[in-house]
Amino acid sequence: MQNEIKSIFEKSLNEGDFSSSQKNIKEKSFNRFIEQGFPNKRIEDWKFSDLNQIISANFENLNYSKKNIDKNVDVDLINEFEHNKIIFVDGNISKIDFNHEDKDKFSLKHDLELDEQLNENALLNLNTAFLSSYIKFTVKKGYQFQKPLILYNYLTSDLVSHGLNLRMDINLEDGSSLDIVNIANQNAKNNFLNFRQKINIGKNSVLKNYSLDIGPTSNIKYSFNDINLDKNSHLEYFIFSKGSKFSKHDINCSLNNDHGSVSLNGIIDLDNEKHHEIKTSINHNEENCKSYQLIKSVLNENSKGVYQGKIYVNSKAQKTDGYQLSRALLLNDDVEFNAKPELEIYADDVKCSHGSTSGNIDENSIFYLMSRGLSHAQSKKLLTNGFLNEVIEKISNKNIKSLIKKLTGIQE
Amino acid sequence: MLNIENLNAKIEDKEILKGLNLNIKPGEVHAIMGPNGSGKSTLSNILSGKKGYEINGNVTFEGENLLDLETEERAHKGIFLAFQYPLEIPGVNTNTFLKTSINAIKKARGEKELDALEFLKLIKKKSAELKFDEKILSRQLNVGFSGGEKKKNEILQMSILNPKLSILDETDSGLDIDALRIVSEGVNSLRNKNNSFLIITHYQRLLDYIKPDFVHVLKNGQIIKSGDYELAKELEKVGYEDFN
Repeated sequence: MQNEIKSIFEKSLNEGDFSSSQKNIKEKSFNRFIEQGFPNKRIEDWKFSDLNQIISANFENLNYSKKNIDKNVDVDLINEFEHNKIIFVDGNISKIDFNHEDKDKFSLKHDLELDEQLNENALLNLNTAFLSSYIKFTVKKGYQFQKPLILYNYLTSDLVSHGLNLRMDINLEDGSSLDIVNIANQNAKNNFLNFRQKINIGKNSVLKNYSLDIGPTSNIKYSFNDINLDKNSHLEYFIFSKGSKFSKHDINCSLNNDHGSVSLNGIIDLDNEKHHEIKTSINHNEENCKSYQLIKSVLNENSKGVYQGKIYVNSKAQKTDGYQLSRALLLNDDVEFNAKPELEIYADDVKCSHGSTSGNIDENSIFYLMSRGLSHAQSKKLLTNGFLNEVIEKISNKNIKSLIKKLTGIQE
Repeated sequence: MLNIENLNAKIEDKEILKGLNLNIKPGEVHAIMGPNGSGKSTLSNILSGKKGYEINGNVTFEGENLLDLETEERAHKGIFLAFQYPLEIPGVNTNTFLKTSINAIKKARGEKELDALEFLKLIKKKSAELKFDEKILSRQLNVGFSGGEKKKNEILQMSILNPKLSILDETDSGLDIDALRIVSEGVNSLRNKNNSFLIITHYQRLLDYIKPDFVHVLKNGQIIKSGDYELAKELEKVGYEDFN
């Protein structure tokens, strides 16, 4: 297997249009990844999700070669509201449409900007090694996006046992705003998706990012999101984690200047032996910043949910307000939920709290609903939807909220 | 309509009902009065199918063995329990719940389900009758409702579902005089020759508004005396302790 991946890597290096310094970075990253291998449970961050084991149980061989696409793939588009779009098909950009915006107020660049630094996280090295297409998207100073940007991530059914590495960098200059929806529309089966997003939010800027994994699909997915916030900026981040066979959504978010705020809300909704993790690390590096996190999980049919949430407060970050709550509903005896809340605080004038609960569905509530003619299944559905709806209600963009209600079927 | 013969019920080895007999015919209103712990709520729970009881005896509803039916099947056949403590269901909109409920019952009975417009019309009419602020219905089910609003919401559900047998489990507790009157009017408007009621209460007060045909005294898991409305008055005077 090692020889095979090596020859695919060398081929990709020769076929791609890379400068010698890029080739150099890629080679180093590749070699580092080969040394590291896929992360396993002995690594603290992966103790609840042994990716190495998951990869070897699901793939005999992963193919990382670049896949070229037929440009005329039909993608189901959202028609609920007007929006800008970037359509990726099998990892390649197939369509870009910003008809609703002032063309001078944003930019899209494709010149690869690779991290020279090698990473502890093996999957980031893997991403750098095989990354071929790349977008750096910038919203210019003072510009408020008129319509949301929807990123369609479409995989064709031709794609099987593929290792796909994608990266997008998003940069909001000072005083700008943007709403993004990530939608995965995946017909493909049994692939490993390694996505990376780097986001910078400038002073007085607002980013809303909604990430939807609805599925179902047998793909294995890892998504790493590195987010930096400047003074007085705001991030709203929403995760709906349901479709993939395995998913780990990793968020490393740093409040690097005062009065920044983050509202991070997530749903893990699993059945059919799926295994999903949300891992967050919110770093309060300066004073007077706020962070709020709410993660709700519903687990059924031998599934496994994980939430690892850390709030870090630097000694400079006085007047920090950090909050984190995880609640899980376990619908079966065979399901598993792991929560690891962590507070690491070096400042003395802070307000930080966390909570984590997990439990069964309330039988008295089921009885109440059934006494009104609802079946057991209907009652359970109504109660779990009600439980998850609280998270959906946190979505501040009304159009996107009703879209998500429609796509997920979760509503009051 | 409802026939209970020698009903015994245990929960975790504790005997609660010890040979209870009761017969309710169509159109009749029966009141069961009794002290705390006499088994009143157990009776209403068992009739609506709550799990967790060890039950012996015969209970038939319109000739059918009631104890074989699931909770929702009993609702489909026309049994309704107005809860003593209606549950708060976070995240579930009251209107959505009401519509799901009435359509589940209509579907089970082979009737045409209500569309959004028909439902809205029905809700408007019924909530006006009960002087129930419609705005409350767009809130989450019973969440943040006052005690009175919760009880009115139970009666609203009853009035929408139009059951054959309505069991009111201490519906009067926690109601002020005005709410009590409105709730009683709601019940009285449903009275006809086909619909029956089983009213469970501590006090005579409710029975001043809803005149029962029969009054039963439940003590230590048994009906120790039956009579008419006069019995309720007597009870009020004597108290449960000295009543034999």
